[in-house]
Amino acid sequence: MALLKLIQIEFFKLRRRKFLWMMMFSALIMPFLSYLLFKYAWSTGGDPVQFYKWSAFGLTLFIVLPVVLGILSSMLMYNENQYDMLKQIWIVPVSKMRYFFSKFFVVLIYSICFMIVTALGSVIFSILLDDLALDWHNTLFLIRKCLEIGIITAFAMLPILAIATTQNGYILPVSITLVYAFLGSIIVSINMYIHPLSSMALIVARNGDIPGLNDTQVISIPLAFFSIFVWGIGSVLLANVALARRK
Amino acid sequence: MRTLLWAEYQKIRRLSFVWIAIFATVMVAVIVFLSGLTDNDGIRDIDTAGWYMAVAQPLGTFFVLPAVIALLGSYMICREEQENTIESLRLIPVNEAKLTLAKMIITLIYSILFYLLLFAITFFTEAALHFSDLSIGVVLNFLRAYFLDGLCIFLAISPIIAWVSYMKKGYWIALVITEFYSFIGLFASTSNTLKALYPITAVFTISGYYEASTSQVILSCISLMFCVGLSAVILASMKKYK
Repeated sequence: MALLKLIQIEFFKLRRRKFLWMMMFSALIMPFLSYLLFKYAWSTGGDPVQFYKWSAFGLTLFIVLPVVLGILSSMLMYNENQYDMLKQIWIVPVSKMRYFFSKFFVVLIYSICFMIVTALGSVIFSILLDDLALDWHNTLFLIRKCLEIGIITAFAMLPILAIATTQNGYILPVSITLVYAFLGSIIVSINMYIHPLSSMALIVARNGDIPGLNDTQVISIPLAFFSIFVWGIGSVLLANVALARRK
Repeated sequence: MRTLLWAEYQKIRRLSFVWIAIFATVMVAVIVFLSGLTDNDGIRDIDTAGWYMAVAQPLGTFFVLPAVIALLGSYMICREEQENTIESLRLIPVNEAKLTLAKMIITLIYSILFYLLLFAITFFTEAALHFSDLSIGVVLNFLRAYFLDGLCIFLAISPIIAWVSYMKKGYWIALVITEFYSFIGLFASTSNTLKALYPITAVFTISGYYEASTSQVILSCISLMFCVGLSAVILASMKKYK
């Protein structure tokens, strides 16, 4: 119950931040760009999955969502540091881990909402394309995959949230976010299990139903989950140490 | 103006952000190197002379460097407001447009330095891997390309920095806008005309990364000049605004 209260408080704090709503618009960037590409440059050949691959499963998964979540994580942690609020919070007292997880749940909920907006945007822009054979089966597939991406990416971004807890500023976590997302997209071709984001991509494309992802490597889903789990545990420990030092 | 530049230089020396930006640049080089280790039928990309120096510029530009440079620029401008030093500066009095211009010149210098750092890393790695395959002409060509990248990327993102300093709302916006602005360059590069027109990809047309006709280079120059004009208009209206 205490954790639920903390999550509620986090959302009360975020209500005043218009910037969060602005960031939500970036969920529509890839659907819109894909619409332009398929309208004027390429052809989907009537296959909606080809369109969804670009609008929701490609760069959204590797770059857009991780960058947005990284910025959100840095903002969430920066607020309390900026106004030196942590002392008051510890006096209440609030458990340091509950404090950390309340922030994480905000990231998780935001991530899911972001992917729902991406899914809706993809559906709307795909309707505008004339040569797509749309049906419920494909739309449900899109929504299911988007929800999976939303949930797992939040876990894959735990290291950034942990790094943000160790810093007073926002610049280092944000710069690390850019490098982290970039590394995640590059390392896919080398080893998918090293980086949480590439492991996440592997889990999402586990059935081989997303064209162009994981065609080359033998897939081990437990190993991918294990990779995210290890990074997650490491991040929680790091956050625990960092918050214990902030007195 | 010289005093303002000197003051900015003194301030930035104490800023840990420069180290963070250097960290980001080094990491870009490391990540691109890692991507070069991929085995394509027994041949690795990194074994091809010049591959590393060629690929590091677009990948670094589309994903990381412009956002970091815009963050540096907008942070330098916004911190005066945030830390309330702008009140003391107004008492001197300092012309705010000139102050912003000085900060932008420093950002331009750092933008070039970050790209030259990326060049230095890629060059020494290439030299260590296959020195005999590199000719002076090729290396000088890349040096020129990286220098122009640093210069032109600053010009391409200057309206964003100027606008953020005009709004004085926050530097986050500069980061987010620049990240997506450079990211969209990936798509702009698919069309020949758009490639020359879109400021981020126009940088590569000018630096020589893309093979371009004279008309495309002129189009790119116009595009970047438009960016410079836009930031000049924003800075000029800031003067009136105060």
